[in-house]
Amino acid sequence: MTPLVELTGISKSFVGVKVLDHVDFDVRPGEVHALLGENGAGKSTLIKIIAGVHAADEGEIRIGGEAMKFANPGQAVKAGIAIVYQELLLFPELSVAENIFLNHAPRTGWGGLDWAEMRRKARALLDDLESHHLDVDTKVGSLSVANRQRIEIAKALSQNARVVIMDEPTASLAEGDVQQLMTIIRRLRERGVGIVYVSHKLPEIFALADRVTVLRDGHYVGTKDIKEVTERSLVAMMVGRSIDQLFPKEDAPIGKVLLELRGVSHGKQVRDVSLTLRAGEILGIAGLVGSGRTETALTIFGITPATAGTILIDGKPVQISSPQQARDLGIAYVPEDRGLQGLVRPQTIAENISLTVLKKLARGFIVDRGKEDSLARDFIKRLGIRARGPGQAARQLSGGNQQKVVLAKWLAAEPRILIMDEPTRGIDVGAKSEIHALMSKLAQNGLAILMISSELPEVLGMSDRVLVMNGGRIVAEIARKDATPETVGAAMTLVQEREAAA
Amino acid sequence: MSAAWKNLLLRHETILGVLLVITLIVLAFQSDRFFTADNLLNQGRLMAEVGLVALAMTFVIVTGGIDLSVGSILGLVAILLGVFWQKLGLPLPLAMMLGIVVGGVAGLVNGLIITRFGVPPLIATLATLALYRGLAEGISQARSVRGYPDWFFMLGQGEFLGVPVQLWIFGLCAVIAAVILGLSTFGRATYAIGSNAVAARFSGLSVDRSLLLIYTASGLIAGLAAVIFVSRVSTTRSDMGTGLELDVITAVVLGGTSIFGGRGTIIGTLLGLGLMQALKNGLALAGVKGDGTIVVIGAVLIGTILISNIFRKDADG
Ligand SMILES: Nc1ncnc2c1ncn2[C@@H]1O[C@H](COP(=O)(O)OP(=O)(O)OP(=O)(O)O)[C@@H](O)[C@H]1O
Ligand SMILES: [Mg+2]
Repeated sequence: MTPLVELTGISKSFVGVKVLDHVDFDVRPGEVHALLGENGAGKSTLIKIIAGVHAADEGEIRIGGEAMKFANPGQAVKAGIAIVYQELLLFPELSVAENIFLNHAPRTGWGGLDWAEMRRKARALLDDLESHHLDVDTKVGSLSVANRQRIEIAKALSQNARVVIMDEPTASLAEGDVQQLMTIIRRLRERGVGIVYVSHKLPEIFALADRVTVLRDGHYVGTKDIKEVTERSLVAMMVGRSIDQLFPKEDAPIGKVLLELRGVSHGKQVRDVSLTLRAGEILGIAGLVGSGRTETALTIFGITPATAGTILIDGKPVQISSPQQARDLGIAYVPEDRGLQGLVRPQTIAENISLTVLKKLARGFIVDRGKEDSLARDFIKRLGIRARGPGQAARQLSGGNQQKVVLAKWLAAEPRILIMDEPTRGIDVGAKSEIHALMSKLAQNGLAILMISSELPEVLGMSDRVLVMNGGRIVAEIARKDATPETVGAAMTLVQEREAAA
Repeated sequence: MSAAWKNLLLRHETILGVLLVITLIVLAFQSDRFFTADNLLNQGRLMAEVGLVALAMTFVIVTGGIDLSVGSILGLVAILLGVFWQKLGLPLPLAMMLGIVVGGVAGLVNGLIITRFGVPPLIATLATLALYRGLAEGISQARSVRGYPDWFFMLGQGEFLGVPVQLWIFGLCAVIAAVILGLSTFGRATYAIGSNAVAARFSGLSVDRSLLLIYTASGLIAGLAAVIFVSRVSTTRSDMGTGLELDVITAVVLGGTSIFGGRGTIIGTLLGLGLMQALKNGLALAGVKGDGTIVVIGAVLIGTILISNIFRKDADG
C-alpha cells in the first residue's frame, strides 16, 4: 500500500538551531499514526512541514508516491492535507459556517457567496460528526474549545482531506468530549483517511493508534506497531529513561484557612459557591467543561467580580474587583487559555515572566534587565523550559514550554494562593511529573493550591480533597481517601441526570 | 554573521537610518541651500510641534490605539490661550498653563470614552476630532488674537546656545519618552497591552489606567505643541493644527510602529520624523510642488514598510 504521505530524512533549523534532524515519517490510508515526544521534541514542527507552513531544509516529501514541495499551506490543502492545530486558529467573530468554508465557500452562478448552500453543507458536515447541537449561525467566539475543535475537523473534511493531522486535540477537552472525538477519529479511519495524532496522553494513544513514531530532541527514535510497545517502553523511548510515578503527591502539613468563599455568585456560571482552602492543601475541582470551574476561578481572581457572597482571605473579608487586587492579596491564576490569557506571544520569555512582578524588579521605575534576565534563567532551569535563552520570543516555543512560561510567570509573583486551571495541559509525561512534584513541594512550603483539571487521574492523584462542580454549583465534596474514578464520576453524572430531570 | 548582528541590521530603525542618510546626501547634492546649519535648524523648528505630538502618539499606537483628535486639540488650546489671555485678562503664563491643562482634559475625555464605554479609539477620537475643532471655531468666532508680548515669542522663535528653543523642549521630551517607553515598567506595560490586552489584564496590569494616562498625555502634549505653535506664528487662529494628525501618524508609522500595536520605538519615530521633514524641505528646495511631496512621502512610507516586512519574514524563519 502506498503511503498517503511519506517523509524521508527531513531536517529543519530555526536561526541556526537544529530542531529536526533526519526524521522519517509516513501515514498510510486508514490508520492512526501517533507522533510522540517530549515538549520541544519537534512534533509540531514536523507537522507544519507536512502542511506547507515551514519548508524543510533537507529531505523529501512524497504525497501518494509523488515527490512534492509545498511553497505554502494552500498547496498542502489542495493535496488533501488538513491540520487541526495545537492553538486553534478560528475567527471568533465569524459564524460556524463561515469558518468552515472560509477559503472555499460555495458560489452562486454569478460569483456571490451561496449562503444557503454553505449553511446546508456546514450542517451536513457537523451532523456527520454527531454534532447536531451546534448551530451553524453562532459566532465561533462563543463556543467551547471542544466545539471549536469539531469545527476545525469539519473544516478539514470540507476540503476533502485524505490526511487529517491533529496536534494535541484532546489537550483542552473534558473526558466526555475526548470519547466523542475518538469516535469521530475512528469513523474517519474507517473511511480510509490517514490520521496523524499528536498527544501526550498515553492511554489515548493505546486506545487509538495503529502505529507510533517517537521523536527525541529532533531526532528520529523509531516507529513501532502499537502491539509491540507498552506504556513503560514508550516513555523510555521518549525521555530516554523510565519514570516511576506519575502523581507524586507527598504529604504536606495542612495549615490554617487562607481562602474562604461564602455563597459567592456571579451570573449564571457561579452560583452560591462556598469553599475553604488551607495552607499546604491541594484542592481539586472536577467537573465537565462549562460546569463553572473556570468561572469560579475568574471570580476569585477579580476578572468577573463576585456579585453576591463574601470572599475571605486569612479570615478577613476582602473586595476583589480586579486581577491587580487579587495579585496584591497573594492570589495567582494560571489560566486555561495560555495563548489568549497567559502569554504576550511576541514578547520574550523574560518579559513574559516579569510581567507579574514588574514593580518588584524595577529600580525606581526602570526595569532592571539584569535581574529580569536572571529571574528568567532561574525559571528556565527550575521548570526545564526548553528554549534558546531568556531572550527568545514566547511564540517560538513549543506548546508545552509555553505552558511552563505561564506557570513561571505566576510562580515569580510568589503567591500564597495558587489557582491552576488545567496546569499540565499539553505538557509531556516527564515534565508533568516534574510539575506535579513542584506542586507538592509548593504545598509543603505552605502554599494553598486550587487545581482545576479535566484529567481525572490528575485530580485524584494530586488532590487532598475533591470538589465536584456542575451548573455553577458545588455538588459534592469528596475526601482523598474516598475519591475514586467511580465516586467522582458518579457525582458528575448523577447531578447531570438530576439537572436533566429538572 | 551572528544572529544578534543580523537582527540589529534588519531592524526597521536601521533600514530607516540608512534611508535617512541617503536622502540627506541626495538632497545635499540637489540644492546647496539644504545642508546648511541655518536650514537644518530651521527645519528642526518647523518639525518640533509635529514631533512632540508624535512622541505621545507612539505610545498610543503601541497600545494598538490611535488618536485622531490631536490636531483639533492643538487648535482648541491655541484659541483658548488667546481667550484666557485677552478676553479673560489672565496673566499670560497662567493662560499658557491653563491651555495645556485643557489639552490634558481633552485627552482624558478621549481615554474615558475609550476605556469606560469600550468605544474603539478610531471612532472615539474621530468624534472628538470634530467636537474639539467645533469648539475651537465656536469660541473663536473666526477672530484671531494677536499682540502677544515679546517674551512670549522666545518659545517659538528664540534660540538658546544657537539652537531653537522648541528643539530643546522637543529633545528633552524625546529623551523622557524614550526612557519611559524603552526602559520603564510603564513602557513594558504599554507593549504588553498592545500585543495582548487580555493577557496584560490577567497578569495584574491595570490596562485601563495605563490607557487613560497615555491618552491624557497625548492631549497634554498637543496642548504644549499648541502654545509653541502660537508663539512661532505670533497669532492664534481656530484652524491651527488642521491635518496635523496625519503628519504625526505618518511619522510614527514610518518609524516602524505597528498600527496593530505591540511594536515601535521612540528612536524609530525620531527617524521617521527626520526623514519626513527632510523630504518635505529638500523637495521644496528642489522645486517640487506640495502635491508632489505628498506623493513621494506616501511612496517612501509604503516602501519602507514593505522592505522591513520582507526582512522580518526572513528573520523569523
Ligand atoms: N518559529 C520558530 N523559531 C525558532 N524556534 C522555533 C520556532 N518554532 C519552533 N521552534 C523551536 O523548535 C523546537 C521544536 O518545537 P515544536 O513546537 O515542534 O515542539 P513539539 O514537539 O510540538 O512540543 P510540544 O509537545 O511542547 O508541543 C522547540 O525548541 C522550539 O523552541
Ligand atoms: Mg507542539
